Amino acid sequence: MMIPNAMRQTDWRQRHSSFLCLRELFARFHLLAPRCAIALFFGATFSTAEEQAIVAFLDRHCMECHDEQTSEGDLNLLDLAFAPDDAANRARWVRVHDRISAGEMPPPEKAEGLTKEDRAKLVHLLGGELHVADRAEIEAKGRGPLRRLTRVEYENRLRDLLAMPHLDIRDKLPEDRDSHGFTKVSRLLDLSRVQLEAWLNAAEAALLAATAVSDEPVPPTSWRFTGTDLFPGLDTFGERQAMFFAKEDRMVPIDGNRFKEMTPEERRDPELEMALFRSATWPYYGYPRGFRAPHDGAYRVRFSGRAVRQLSEFRLVPATESVAMSFRARQPSGPDVSGDVRETGGWMDLGAEPKVFETTIRLKKGETFEYSPLGLPVPFIRTDGGFFYSFPPMPPDGHPGIAIQWLEVAGPVVEGEWPPASHRVLYDDLPLTKSGVTSGNPAVDVPRLLRRFVERAAVAPVPEEVIAGYEARIHEQLAAGSTFAEAMRHGYGAFLSSGHFVFLTEPKRDSHAIAARLSHFLTGTAPDETLRRLADEGRVMEPDTLRSEVSRLIAEEHFDRFVVDFTDQWLNLRRLRRDQSDDRLYPEYRRDDYLVGSMEKETRAFFTAMVKENLPVTTLVDSDFTYVNDRLVRHYGLPPVEGSTMRRVALPEASPYGGIMTQASVLKITSNGTTTSPVVRGVWTMEKILGSPPPPPPKSIPAIEPDIRGATTVRELLAKHTEVKSCAACHAHFDPVGFALENFDIMGAWRDDYRGMEKGEKVTGIDRAGHPYTYYISQPVDPSGELLDGSKFGNVRDLKAILMNDPRLLARNLVHHLALYATGTPVRFADRPEVEAILDRTGDQGYRVRDLIEELAVSEIFTGVPPEQ
Amino acid sequence: MNSMKSPHIASPALDRRRFLRGAGVTLALPWLEGMRALFAKETTEPPQRMLLISNNLGVLPWHFFPKGAGPDYVASPYLELLAPFRKDFTVFSGLSHPNVTGGHSTENCFLTAAMDPTGSGFRNTISLDQFAVERLGQQTRFPSLNLGVNIDKANRSLSWTRDGVLLPAEDKPSALFRRMFVQGTPAEVEGQLRRLRERGSVLDTIASDMKGFQKQLGSGDRSRLDQYLTSVRELEDRLHTAGEWEQKPKPSTTETEPEDITDPARFFDKFSLMLEMARLAFESDSTRIVTLMVDGFATPAFQISENEKSLNDYHNLSHHGQSKEKIAQLERVDRRQMEVLHTHLERLSARSEGGSRLLDRTMVLYGSNLGDANVHNTDNLPILLAGGGFRHGQHLAYDGIRNVPLCNLFVSMLQRMNLETDSFGSGRTTLTGLEAG
Repeated sequence: MMIPNAMRQTDWRQRHSSFLCLRELFARFHLLAPRCAIALFFGATFSTAEEQAIVAFLDRHCMECHDEQTSEGDLNLLDLAFAPDDAANRARWVRVHDRISAGEMPPPEKAEGLTKEDRAKLVHLLGGELHVADRAEIEAKGRGPLRRLTRVEYENRLRDLLAMPHLDIRDKLPEDRDSHGFTKVSRLLDLSRVQLEAWLNAAEAALLAATAVSDEPVPPTSWRFTGTDLFPGLDTFGERQAMFFAKEDRMVPIDGNRFKEMTPEERRDPELEMALFRSATWPYYGYPRGFRAPHDGAYRVRFSGRAVRQLSEFRLVPATESVAMSFRARQPSGPDVSGDVRETGGWMDLGAEPKVFETTIRLKKGETFEYSPLGLPVPFIRTDGGFFYSFPPMPPDGHPGIAIQWLEVAGPVVEGEWPPASHRVLYDDLPLTKSGVTSGNPAVDVPRLLRRFVERAAVAPVPEEVIAGYEARIHEQLAAGSTFAEAMRHGYGAFLSSGHFVFLTEPKRDSHAIAARLSHFLTGTAPDETLRRLADEGRVMEPDTLRSEVSRLIAEEHFDRFVVDFTDQWLNLRRLRRDQSDDRLYPEYRRDDYLVGSMEKETRAFFTAMVKENLPVTTLVDSDFTYVNDRLVRHYGLPPVEGSTMRRVALPEASPYGGIMTQASVLKITSNGTTTSPVVRGVWTMEKILGSPPPPPPKSIPAIEPDIRGATTVRELLAKHTEVKSCAACHAHFDPVGFALENFDIMGAWRDDYRGMEKGEKVTGIDRAGHPYTYYISQPVDPSGELLDGSKFGNVRDLKAILMNDPRLLARNLVHHLALYATGTPVRFADRPEVEAILDRTGDQGYRVRDLIEELAVSEIFTGVPPEQ
Repeated sequence: MNSMKSPHIASPALDRRRFLRGAGVTLALPWLEGMRALFAKETTEPPQRMLLISNNLGVLPWHFFPKGAGPDYVASPYLELLAPFRKDFTVFSGLSHPNVTGGHSTENCFLTAAMDPTGSGFRNTISLDQFAVERLGQQTRFPSLNLGVNIDKANRSLSWTRDGVLLPAEDKPSALFRRMFVQGTPAEVEGQLRRLRERGSVLDTIASDMKGFQKQLGSGDRSRLDQYLTSVRELEDRLHTAGEWEQKPKPSTTETEPEDITDPARFFDKFSLMLEMARLAFESDSTRIVTLMVDGFATPAFQISENEKSLNDYHNLSHHGQSKEKIAQLERVDRRQMEVLHTHLERLSARSEGGSRLLDRTMVLYGSNLGDANVHNTDNLPILLAGGGFRHGQHLAYDGIRNVPLCNLFVSMLQRMNLETDSFGSGRTTLTGLEAG
């Protein structure tokens, strides 16, 4: 093999620019040389005969599949230059590097004679060059681009700055683009006129809401509802069983005529209970008669209620199990929903004995709140022989439901002093009159208030000349006739849409940028006072300080935002409600919002525990505990517990549950509501839990559509994936994992058999909505499989045991996800040694999750500061 | 008055005076004074318009959907009534909004596709018309108009902001007329201008701040900052345009405004009149985007024809429960509706603009959020699209079990409005089979 000496001695970074592809090179040197770029590259670097042999081997073996004729995997090495200074080119070579490194390429049948050592040498050399190039780019341009705030962060920042924890402006902002669920990706967080205008509008709305318009708060009003006032009508949808008034545990029949005859006292008879047996979703309008919130704000609700069972003849007896309920804020627009619908007031468990409950709900002006018993049936319309809403037939123990004795509302509640804290952020203690805030001396007040505001709003000191610009505008507005408050808001609003507020910069040894990155990572907001002080003092870069700050922030109240936002993105939990369950195949899940809400809480509680209790990373795959409530234990087939509160329980020895991988939420997200797909679940598990996500599927191949008739199992449909070699190359990675998860249905409940619409053993009944259903038990599930490395498993428990054996793999993947979330830039090639160093530092302790977060925070990936400095 | 001629609508058939048949009101055709100056700035691209109509109680499906697919479909009884326009519309089956269930509550999601309107945590999202407005900007005096017939304005609308705030529909033709043709007071105009100036000042401030901010950043971040400054400039341009519109005189008219029909029982008269207002808005280029919710739900017992009044209110009637009498009456209601639509298409095709029929530059979407109001079915929605320059004259039939997202049609329509987007709501692509002509 002839390589010109001149080339061999020249650093590739100088020479690669002179040739873009091998074809040109051949032309220039009239070479009968290696045809493949890998070979060329190593040919240029290797000198011993032994190394040259590797080159020759690669040349022979790579080109067989990756020349211009075949271009397997869309890779034509003849046309691919080795130009790692170019990011796109480098990315392709990283793929080549990774597949060689993983032993996937060349494929085993072509790799005979290639020793482990040779492969390692190859990987080492290629990796070294890629590393140098990537490093150089980081040095020149920074590790990632400037990142703007996400909509979630923007709302958090304004909530905290303005001391308005319930400020609601998120949906004024366009949804952020996402990549595999992640919305914090700097590259995708672009800017547009729509985005900028949305910021301006959102800031304006927030500042207006923060301002007190009068010298005293709106006086609270009180309401008390008893008897028929507890409900807006005399019945609701779903036959008489759905709702009635009762006295001494018997229905008191009240129809329109009777109601007209009743005196006001009789109508409000405190001895009457309102008994409700259905859940709040359309068609429904169960709220206290005539109530509408006169203002935006918090309202205190007290009520007396109990859980009951309804027996035949409309008799009530005490419940045997508690019934959870909540309220839903909404427009009192009849059965039709208009505007938004929000659960408010939290979950309350009504027991067999009447008890007084007290909670705070949040309403917008003009809204009311409806009773929302969780998990009760939803009557459904029927038109067979007329038109009516049917209620499910009476179960042997009666219909579960609730009975309300009385209810009081008072509000809007003034939280804290007046004017509210938000007002004082903007205007401090300037005099507040009937017509708003006034300033006797704007020349003094404007600069003072503005500087105070900017200091709190920005994550780093803002230059004086910048502030002066805003100040001048405020004075202009005053001169043009704006009120003092209007003029101040004008300046504030501009600042909240300015680069100083909306952008987060790469640290590059800047302590304020590191502090901001840390606070946005773990609390979704600007640094708090302590962290800001550490940044001002330049101490944030000290590893010990950073570590202790991580621990401190994890214990802070706002750490919850990290849990919600990170699980939303990493596990795609925000898409939990994307698909509704198919009522034809799964009538038992019809409109079961309680179940879906419970599974969401389980995953959040579980992940919180993983971090706060510093649990080993293998907890992702399996654990001997999980978090459940009364609904989830039924779903998982666990011993009963009382009530809606999530609590930690031990799982039985042989339970298929435990670990995030098999939580109901995850299994729901990875189904489409009708069927499950081993491909989707397998890919999801690879990407989210195990790492090394497969490349996207080839464009021309349609996705498998499971046969919902029940004639063919999904395994049969996917048989091609093992029979056809080009399919198997990828599918063998993830299909088997998905097969093991086939024992979980669309909501994550255990199943031994599939259901279908046409074939198999017929099952009929009437569902919880009162609807008749028919489906078929079709085929048994076969959860067994074999992983790429040859390890076989019979079911999901076996699979978990295999996956638990490689905690470093799990930890590496989690660090990748955390790093992307924390920095907005995926782990780069040059970051890889740093990731391995994090793993080295945490491995002895079993790669505990908080340890991983701490070590990530002190790494160069996060701080931009090499650890030795 | 030689300025009466619009550069886009120039038809000898176009009278200056037009009789609004539904209302018995005479109007002057309102050409925008000085509109030429504005159009002069535009490219030669002819304007595209859309009229988005939904009747929230739908139609009897078995009389609506045709038999057979493609261009050779057999027209259904209802489509027979549009027979003269067979080449000018496409009828669709197998379209719906995925996971938009919850009976009548889906009516507010017809143009938004926001999922599960009755579920806890529901919040509506941006509607098709507002999405287009956000991107097109103010090409006309009104970026869009949102109309209603018998509409419960507090609770229903086809038009929603990004954060799920209801944009109230206008249900008074007289008020619409005034907005389109009657000048605001100087104080009103000044108030608007002042708001625009304030926003302009904010933009100035952040732009000059950003120039300072730029200095402290590396080259890799420049493109983000360029995006930011471009956004500022674009917003400034829009403010400028809005200011121009504020100060530009509205088109004059010699006629009195239409008289509002207050009796909700005159449902069809109101429907016809509103369609006339939409046409007027297009002809005067007051706007290019109109939504119209026909609120059957809020319509009490009404005149189906001069001699027939409905047995019940419209909603009750729609839940026919298989009663023969009710079904027969509903059929007459639906037929009358088709006739109203037919008249509207006739008028749009009678106008020409730059050599094309106005209909060819106006997409008229007619549909409903309910596939079958009797049982609150929200699958297989009745959808019809006329005009807009598509290759029509066919029945595009999609799977009745696994429906195609209606939003795919919306994406096709947005692209027809010259918007570069390949997704909207649950739509991730254009609708297969619907091609521009």
